[in-house]
Amino acid sequence: MYRRILVAYDGSEGARAALKQGIALAKALNAELSCVLVEEHLPHYAASISEVKAAKEEIDAHFRTMAKQARDLAALGGIDMETIVRQGHDVETIVTIAKDGQFKLLVIGYHGHSAIFGRIMGSTAQSIVRLAPCSVLLAK
Amino acid sequence: MENVWYLAAVWVGLALLATLFAIWFKISTALSEIVVGTVAQLIIGVIVGPNALGSSTAWVSFLAGTGAIVLTFLAGAELDPDVFRLKWKEALVVGLAGFVAPFLGAAAAARYVLGWDVGPSWLAGVALSTTSVAVVYAVMLELGFNVTEYGKAILAACFVNDLGTVLMLGLIFSPFTVRTLIFVAASVAAFVVLPFVTGPFFRRYGGRVSELETKFILFALFGMGGVALWAGSEPVLPAYVIGMLLAGTVGKDHLLIRRLRTLTFGLLTPFYFIRAGSFVSVPALAAAPLVFTVLFFAKMFSKMLGVFPAVKAFRYGRQETTYYTLMMSTGLTFGTISALFGLSHGIITAGQYSHLVAAVIGSAVIPTLIANALFMPVHLRPDETREAGAIATTQDTMRGKREHV
Repeated sequence: MYRRILVAYDGSEGARAALKQGIALAKALNAELSCVLVEEHLPHYAASISEVKAAKEEIDAHFRTMAKQARDLAALGGIDMETIVRQGHDVETIVTIAKDGQFKLLVIGYHGHSAIFGRIMGSTAQSIVRLAPCSVLLAK
Repeated sequence: MENVWYLAAVWVGLALLATLFAIWFKISTALSEIVVGTVAQLIIGVIVGPNALGSSTAWVSFLAGTGAIVLTFLAGAELDPDVFRLKWKEALVVGLAGFVAPFLGAAAAARYVLGWDVGPSWLAGVALSTTSVAVVYAVMLELGFNVTEYGKAILAACFVNDLGTVLMLGLIFSPFTVRTLIFVAASVAAFVVLPFVTGPFFRRYGGRVSELETKFILFALFGMGGVALWAGSEPVLPAYVIGMLLAGTVGKDHLLIRRLRTLTFGLLTPFYFIRAGSFVSVPALAAAPLVFTVLFFAKMFSKMLGVFPAVKAFRYGRQETTYYTLMMSTGLTFGTISALFGLSHGIITAGQYSHLVAAVIGSAVIPTLIANALFMPVHLRPDETREAGAIATTQDTMRGKREHV
C-alpha cells in the first residue's frame, strides 16, 4: 500500500517518534524509506560575509549530525534510509519533496516546532496535513 | 557611569541581548545590535540620563572604531580574486554605475529636496551609494546563485561599488594638504609592500599560540588608520584596501579568518553597532518620517537609473537585470560607517544621522524582499544539481544513492 514513505525529521522528540514509526512501517510493509531535514535560513541582513559563512558552517555541522543520527537509527532498525537535506521553508519544502518524490505516506512528528508560532499561525504539522499530496501520519 | 566595569557589563549585556534577538528572529547580529542600541539609549536615556550609556566615552569609541576597521578589513579580505579576474569588466562597469548614480542622486535629493547643506548632502550621497556584499552573499548562498556566473558577477560588482564608497568617504572630506599627499604616498607604499611581506612573514613565524598574524594585521591597520586620521581622512579606507590586497593570502587562511572573526564579532563589532544604534534619535525619526522616505527612494531610484542600464549592457534579460539591480541596491555596513563618520566629524546632525541610518537599514531589508518575491531568476538557479557549498543540496546530486552528508 505504502511503497514509498517519507519522514520529516528535525531532531525533536516528536520527530524522533515519527522516525521510529516510519522505520517500523517501512520494515513491516517492505517499503522504501526516505528522511527529509529542512535547514533553517541563514541570518538575514548580515554585516559581513564572515558572519554568513560562520552561520552556514554551524548549520551544516548541525544538520550533518542530525542526518547521521537519523540514518543510524534506521540502520539499527535494519532499514537502509536515504536522507534529504534541503534549505528553505519547512512546510513548503516537505510538501514539495513529498510531491516530487511521489511518496505515498508522509510521517511527521506532532511536536517539534515553535509553540508560539504554532499558536499564532497554525502549527507546521497542521499546515503539512492540509497541503500534503499524500496521506499523513502524525506521530506522537 | 563612573565605574568602567559596570559600563562594560552594560554594553556586553546589550550585545548578549542583541544576539538572543538575532537568534530568535533569525536576523543578523549587526542589525539586532543597531536596534538594541537605539532602544537602549532611548530607555536608559529617559530613566538614568542622556549620557548614561557612555557612547562617547573614549574607550567605547576606541573599541567601536577598532570594530569598524577590522570589519572593513574582513570585508575587503572576503573578495574572491579569481571571481574578480573572471568578471572584472562587468564588475567594474556595474560596480562604478552602482556607486556613482546613487552618490550623485542621493546627494542631489538631500540638497534640493530636503534642503540640507552641501557637506551633509555629500555625506548622504556617500552613505547611500553603498551596497551590502554580506546581505547579497547570504541571498546568493541560500539560493545557490553563489556558484553561478551570474551570482559571482553580482558579488564582484558589489565589491567595486563598496570600494568606490570607501574611497569617496576617505577623500571627499579630506582637507587636501601636504598631509593628504603623505597619506596617499604612505598608503601606496603599504599597499605595494604588504602583499609581498605578509605571506612569507606568516609562513616563517606564524601558526603559533602567540597569534602573531593577528598582531601583525592589527599593527598594519592601526598604523595606516593613524596616518589616515592625521591626514584628516578615514581609517576604514586603508583597512578595506589592505583587506582586498591580502584577500589572496590572509583571506584564504580560513583558520586565521576564523580567529579574527572571534575577536571581531565577540568583542569589537557589538560596540560598533550598538554605538551606531545609540546615536539614532527615535523622536527625530518620528518627527519627520518623510525625510527617511525621500532618502530611501532617492537611493532606490538612482540605483535603478545607474545599475539597470549598466547590467542590461551585458545582455542579461529583464528579470535577471531587475534582480541584479535590486541586489546592488542593498546596503548596511558601509552605510552606517559613513553616517557615523559624518556624525563624529560634525558633518551631519544627530537628526540627519538618524534618517540616514534608517534609510540604510531600509535598504538592507526592502530590496531583498522585493527581489526574492517578484524577480528571482529561478531559471538561473543551479537546478537540482546545485552545489552551493552546502550540504543542503547534496542530496540532489545523490538521489538513488546513499547520501553521506
